[in-house]
Amino acid sequence: MRRPFGEAAPAVRVTIVQAADQKPRSLKNLSVNLRDLTILIADPGNYMRRVVYGMLRGFGANRILEAADAADVLSALMQQKVDILILDAKLPPQDGLAVTQAIRRNCDNENRTLPILIMTSDAQQSTVKEARDAGASMVVAKPMSPTTLYDRMVWIAFDRRQFIDCPTYFGPDRRFKIEGYPTGVGRRASDKTVEVAAATEPNLGQDDIDSLFQAARAGQSE
Amino acid sequence: MTEKTPPHVRIFSVKTRFQEMAQRPGGLPREVAIQQAESQIESFKTDFVDWVDRELQHLTQALRQVGDGKADSAQLDEIYSRSRQLRDTGTTMGLALVTFVADNLCRVIDTVRDGAPYEVQVIDCHIDALNLAKQDAYRHVRPEQVPEMTSGLHRMLERANRYRTGGAG
Repeated sequence: MRRPFGEAAPAVRVTIVQAADQKPRSLKNLSVNLRDLTILIADPGNYMRRVVYGMLRGFGANRILEAADAADVLSALMQQKVDILILDAKLPPQDGLAVTQAIRRNCDNENRTLPILIMTSDAQQSTVKEARDAGASMVVAKPMSPTTLYDRMVWIAFDRRQFIDCPTYFGPDRRFKIEGYPTGVGRRASDKTVEVAAATEPNLGQDDIDSLFQAARAGQSE
Repeated sequence: MTEKTPPHVRIFSVKTRFQEMAQRPGGLPREVAIQQAESQIESFKTDFVDWVDRELQHLTQALRQVGDGKADSAQLDEIYSRSRQLRDTGTTMGLALVTFVADNLCRVIDTVRDGAPYEVQVIDCHIDALNLAKQDAYRHVRPEQVPEMTSGLHRMLERANRYRTGGAG
């Protein structure tokens, strides 16, 4: 259940990366222009917000707003046009996924199709799927490096998934290519030392998270 | 093969303002953008340790208030949120060990929330480990390089998990 701390990836992991490599490979050749885009960072931690703010400034963003809780987020969205929301999965008082659902499910909300990048410390597959099912555009695992954040911004900028509007869901198309997660994929060596009954899933690596967000149908991913 | 869309499902394309604007030419090249972001992070590193110090003081204070007694949910929330912030920022700031210890502490607190006893000495060990991990000598040290510390903390978590699942005693 541990985040990767640099252990060599298990051999089986290569298979997954190859199966899901359409986007990650092309990310390296793409860049984004964040100038004059309004970016809202929502995280309860002031230092975390500072770190993300610093990264975004480095990327060239010049309009960055901050929010510490859900009320701040909803208030900011009502007051101005926000271009992308970078949202903590555990944002109080409920959580970031509830905020995502509230944004997506409100028919009168002009921000309904707003790109939402969820940041999570808990990158278990079930959590990533919950974020996806809430309508997140992408999930990034914390702690994150500038490269990880930048590539997820690129991913969202060039993502051509369609939106789905149905009685039970509003958000980016969730029909993804899931090649399967054989036992052990994403598991860290340190997991074996801890017997956990309540939550046994390993945290996913960022590549695995990406593959959960990859469009399945031909012509959508590139 | 053609997919048939049910009548109550609407599928539509959206090109958001973010996508339109982000794809404009004239942005920083990827390498430059990432390098600049890394420089920003680098500039925070000197005061990161001061911030960790302050967080640890707050954390210690919160833990003292709990003492040997049973922690209430507000106290646990405060301890958890401070530990979580340390976990979320440590590795980014070059202190992977801080992330590791804080992550373990968060998991221990999770077990307390689920009914495991609040053991002061377990929490104290994590605070001691955090005090060690924040030191400059441990910058860029990875958890697997300090197996005594990591296995000790893992054992504490394992024990707390056994309580949670009713396997202790």
